[in-house]
Amino acid sequence: MNRGIQFILVVGLIALFALFLKGLGGDPRSIPTVLIGTTAPTFAGPDVESGKTLSLDQYKGKVVLLNFWASWCYECKVEHNDILRLHQQFKDNPDFVMLGVNYQDELPNAKEYLKTYGSSFQHVRDIKGTMAIDYGVYGVPETFVIDQQGIIRHKWVGPIVGQVYTNLTEQVISPLLHKTQSPT
Amino acid sequence: MIIEIGHFSVVVAWVLTLLGIGSSVLALRSRNAEWVRVGRIAVTLTFALLFIGMASLVYSFLMRDFSVLYVANNSNSKLPFFYTVAAVWGGHEGSLLLWAFILSSFSTLAVWLHWRTQPTIMPYLIAVESAVMLGFLSLIVFLSSPFARLVPTPLDGKDLNPLLQDPAMVMHPPMLYMGYVGFSIPFSFAMAALFSGRLGEEWIKVTQRWTIFAWLCLTTGILLGGYWAYYELGWGGYWGWDPVENASFMPWLVGTAYLHSVLVQEKRKMFKVWNLLLIIVTFSLSLIGTFLVRSGVLTSVHTFATDPERGLYILIFITTIIGTAFGALIIQSKHLKSQIEMDSFISRESVFLFNNLFFLVAAATVFLGTLYPLMVETFQGGKVTVGPPYYNAVFMPIALGLLFLMGIGPYIPWRKASASNIKKHFLIPTIAGVVTVVLLLISGIYSLYALAGGFVVGFSGSAILVDFGKISQLYANREQVNLFKGFLKAFSANQRRYSSLITHIGVLVLVVGIIASTIYQTEKVVSMKVGDSFSIENYEMKLLNIHQVEGTNWKAQEGVFEVTRDDEVITKLRPQKRVYNASQSPTTESAIHAINMGHIFLTMPDVSPEGVAVARGVINPLILWVWGGGGIMGLGVLLNIFRPRRREE
Amino acid sequence: MISRYILLCLLISLALPWHVCAEVVDETELDIQVREISKTLRCTVCQTENIWESGAPLAVQMRGAIRERLTLGHSPEEIHAYFLSRYGDYILMQPPKHGANWLIWLAPFVLLLVGGFFIYSEVRQWVKPTSPQPQDQPPPLDLEARKKIERELQP
Repeated sequence: MNRGIQFILVVGLIALFALFLKGLGGDPRSIPTVLIGTTAPTFAGPDVESGKTLSLDQYKGKVVLLNFWASWCYECKVEHNDILRLHQQFKDNPDFVMLGVNYQDELPNAKEYLKTYGSSFQHVRDIKGTMAIDYGVYGVPETFVIDQQGIIRHKWVGPIVGQVYTNLTEQVISPLLHKTQSPT
Repeated sequence: MIIEIGHFSVVVAWVLTLLGIGSSVLALRSRNAEWVRVGRIAVTLTFALLFIGMASLVYSFLMRDFSVLYVANNSNSKLPFFYTVAAVWGGHEGSLLLWAFILSSFSTLAVWLHWRTQPTIMPYLIAVESAVMLGFLSLIVFLSSPFARLVPTPLDGKDLNPLLQDPAMVMHPPMLYMGYVGFSIPFSFAMAALFSGRLGEEWIKVTQRWTIFAWLCLTTGILLGGYWAYYELGWGGYWGWDPVENASFMPWLVGTAYLHSVLVQEKRKMFKVWNLLLIIVTFSLSLIGTFLVRSGVLTSVHTFATDPERGLYILIFITTIIGTAFGALIIQSKHLKSQIEMDSFISRESVFLFNNLFFLVAAATVFLGTLYPLMVETFQGGKVTVGPPYYNAVFMPIALGLLFLMGIGPYIPWRKASASNIKKHFLIPTIAGVVTVVLLLISGIYSLYALAGGFVVGFSGSAILVDFGKISQLYANREQVNLFKGFLKAFSANQRRYSSLITHIGVLVLVVGIIASTIYQTEKVVSMKVGDSFSIENYEMKLLNIHQVEGTNWKAQEGVFEVTRDDEVITKLRPQKRVYNASQSPTTESAIHAINMGHIFLTMPDVSPEGVAVARGVINPLILWVWGGGGIMGLGVLLNIFRPRRREE
Repeated sequence: MISRYILLCLLISLALPWHVCAEVVDETELDIQVREISKTLRCTVCQTENIWESGAPLAVQMRGAIRERLTLGHSPEEIHAYFLSRYGDYILMQPPKHGANWLIWLAPFVLLLVGGFFIYSEVRQWVKPTSPQPQDQPPPLDLEARKKIERELQP
């Protein structure tokens, strides 16, 4: 075996080790979405509780937080309290709207879920899954932030808890809300 | 109580493994044979203790002791007895224990088998096997113990994943692990050769049967996995190029390269470094495969349950083993000068080199394809899928190249092939290949892959058959017996060669099955009510009725389909849409009828509340050749392993 | 008697549209198109499965979305582009042939060529113009080889 081959062998093995190490450290939830920076797809669907039609268009000019969830989803229960807390934090801002999207669910189960765990904002039903596909959703929970111009600014796969919560509120939502308030 | 005994045994086994390593090191230092004896005792006791560990887990499963966490997670009071045993390796912890158990039984067997003939190798063998063992036992003892209790005890278990409740799945993991672990024996001998400096052909000859045995197990394991996917997953395919499948395919590819290239070293004393490299890579890939599957590096986005700590541990462990192996090889390689003398480029040596090249490129392709998504994520931050279309496209040419080499390899002489020699052996095969292509064209088959496959199979197949014919004739004439007896005589006179050729025939049969069932598969999906019918190819399927059926731990809607051809009833097929009681997870049970070496494959993925069923019919031509080819390959390998020991040894 | 019954049956079956009893169903052109497109898209929550083979709810909904778009008159290319714009390259069953992805599309063949060339040049060096010997005689080198091996075996 000559030096060149030995060298390639050693470098190859180290590179492989590094790749695996990186792979282990990688967060499987941080999937970059191709949607960031694009116009949020519009949608319309029945409200979970009232059955009235809700659509994205009625919130034009506001910062919209979309939270995809389902009653069968364990991670959604994990984040539920923080989601309510988040709504409490921003609900008084007239430029902020929060919408739940009930995904792949049965209506009675969804209603039951909201009754049990509480809810302070509206939820739209995604009956055929078209909304989820429009938003490139992999599974629940997934959270999107849409700015005043209707552009998707942020996406998170997985529950909004702990550091993720702080990040979302301080780095994403607050600056967006602040931006509209300062000129006026 | 029983489970604690098992736990205790495994902990003691862990200590004994340390003793095994220590005593071997001492034996080498002090050159005192007594220490080797201690090592042997340690290895043997480890086996006994792991046997107790396994037995205690099996016992807990049979007693349905749901106070054991692992049992509660992987079985249920209604789980049938047969699957209760299989549930032992239905999850992560149990499959690691099975790995360790198989490893210890193989190393014990190896130590006792080669004790007399290989005394100098023993301390190395014990040390290497114990080191690998230590890695797995540490993982079991410290990070993923199947013996943990669950408080409070649940009333019932969560049940074994319904997809795993299948006969093929019962045998698939043990076979696969026997393959992986089987390669640890030639690996250990290779390491022994490297460390001791006895770098001759001895280690290869001693481990020849181990190698083909491991290869047989791995092949069987992979085929069983395909068989399982075919019957259980319900989409009519048997190989999905899934990372988990790829993880088992990579060591198979390099292992196959290895078992060919050692022949060259045996006969011609060439490729010494190369063979060491190949066995190290083979065993490394077995370990890496385990890492990839067990660490969750490659699993899909929404498996939240992965455990990075465990992954990190496995990574460090396999890096240590692989690093040590490659380090030893690099250091020792300067002592490994093969004497290479050949008379012509066109010779069997070259064919073997190209065989190795193709197998390694195949393995590299699978490796790259499996890791590419990870690489893209690391360097570009995006996500990408490398799925079956990629592998099918790049693999076909490589596979066809290998099949072609298979046809010429056994008939090209060592050192140099003359023109007359080539003409003598390859004229008929070439004609046969062309005739096959013409026949395929006449019968209306125009797919380029099918035609190329047809040529190669015709060529290689006829080369082997002509060989069999000639040699049978020769022996029949010499011994004055009939042709069949002549064949048997010839076969037993050179069993190693001819059993390998039988394995080659099996490969060809398998490939015909693969080509036919992938390229010429037809499928149809329709919605239908009771009384409706649909036709696929010449077959007509009529839905007679849909009724409820019940098993011990599941309920199902069963469709009864009458299959007719030209108004003649062929069979009734009963696909099911099953829901398992404990997990409420649905599965699609396929119904299959074999006809003309192919399958009519029927599933009923959905039944609406109004009684409209979705039926999916698939015609898989020549699919039985896939399994049949696998069977012939296995037969060839068995004849090879159990050939009488003779002059060659 | 019997013939009269047969006649009656015939009359009944003529009077009624016979598909009320039983139908021969078949795939429509649309079904086939849905299948062809589904086979090229990945079920994003599964382990390398396409949305045709997968039974996951997301896959079912994606098939529904494809069907809907086809009935609206979208072409297969437009549907591909739509999914690509939502999920990125991840949704395709094979890496698209552009940019860095050429690496894995070409690597197998490059490796074969490079390896083949390497073997050729190496073996050319090994071939020694030894004196031509009759083919049927065992090569005399074996004795020498044996000596060399024995020397190697010395620790």
